[in-house]
Amino acid sequence: MTTPEMIQLIIIDGVMAAVTAIGFAISSNPSRKAILISALLAAIGHGMRFVFIQSGMDISVSTFIVATLIGLLSIFFARIIHCPAEVFSFPSLLPMIPGLFAYRTILSLIKFMQSTDSVKNQGFIMDFFHNGMTTLFILLALVVGVSLPVLLFPKLSFSVTRRY
Amino acid sequence: MTDKPEDKLPSIEQIADLLIDIACELMTSGAHTMRILQNVSRMAESYGYKLDLSVFQLSIMMTITSKDDESKRLTLNRKTKPLLINYKFVSNLSSLSWDTYDKHLTYKEVKERFHEIISEKRVSRWLILILVSFANASFCGLFKGDIYAVGLVFIATLIGFFVRQEMMIRHVNHLVIYASSAFIAGLIAGMGYIFHLGNTPEIALASCVLYHTPGVPLINSVLDIIEGHILTGISRLVNASSLIACTAIGLFSAMLLLGLDKL
Repeated sequence: MTTPEMIQLIIIDGVMAAVTAIGFAISSNPSRKAILISALLAAIGHGMRFVFIQSGMDISVSTFIVATLIGLLSIFFARIIHCPAEVFSFPSLLPMIPGLFAYRTILSLIKFMQSTDSVKNQGFIMDFFHNGMTTLFILLALVVGVSLPVLLFPKLSFSVTRRY
Repeated sequence: MTDKPEDKLPSIEQIADLLIDIACELMTSGAHTMRILQNVSRMAESYGYKLDLSVFQLSIMMTITSKDDESKRLTLNRKTKPLLINYKFVSNLSSLSWDTYDKHLTYKEVKERFHEIISEKRVSRWLILILVSFANASFCGLFKGDIYAVGLVFIATLIGFFVRQEMMIRHVNHLVIYASSAFIAGLIAGMGYIFHLGNTPEIALASCVLYHTPGVPLINSVLDIIEGHILTGISRLVNASSLIACTAIGLFSAMLLLGLDKL
């Protein structure tokens, strides 16, 4: 892949992640500035993960790194607009939810339930565990990664709404 | 109404009532336990009281003790309303607690600002409906779905989310809402298989129910567990996982109805 093509793909990826973040941010009713920041964080996060995965890194490791970065950035932005950091963390992580893996997990479970062919069934079990474990690890990486900065800097993250 | 003695020195009952209302409102709006605890203790401190708080899924229990006079104490237990995430309340109430602490606001001022904050209106539900539909459609794009899949997901989310909003207004059980809304969205997105629209009908079916992700309870539960509020954290986790399970059941039944040999 040439560099301009790659950059174009990253930008498209980031824009779609931003649209996703805006839609899900608004359903938790934050302030307008917070919505824009979640869109920005989502675009940065998903774009970076796209680059990591393209360069051959494992999906759950790259998710963990990006989620930690989003956690740090959200504390930084929280201090600027005086708004708790959790407000951005959920919508900006949302584009990374492993929906496709979760769907494949359910699909292989149904297929396993309905099939009577034991050779095929072994394949379905393998699919179930592969997809299920990937879903679980990505979800864990997301939530643990984003809450790490809150744990590392508790004073900082609880005083962001202080104005003096 | 202007010159009541309580304006100068509020009684312990008044303070406790106000603080537990604030705690319940924070819980309903989706703050994690540590934030509730810190906000309310901070406010109690500025009035010269010590505060102990137990947060449960459905109720909050609070004991407030005067710092000058240990015999002056009061325990309250109040039911919380069902979860309706509203981060504007969380951040405004959090600012209010710091303002109370830093500027020593009087009881009356705090009460007025509290009522001002919680009477603020939410964003219109139609705007939410449209934006969530666009969001879910671009989710499908992120999973590399083609234009047919994106369109199908948009329609599926529009209808599924509308059904969810209508059922929420009628106070149907949460689990039933999630299952039936996922079922409807799954059926609509599954039309891609039946009418052979585009090359990625699988992705449409996979991303059509993602608007159900209970992200805020999940993140709150992990924060609670890590910070040591294990009981609250686990009850939030069970809540979130049962919502996910119901979404899966809804999608599951839609897929069974569509016929698996096509999938």
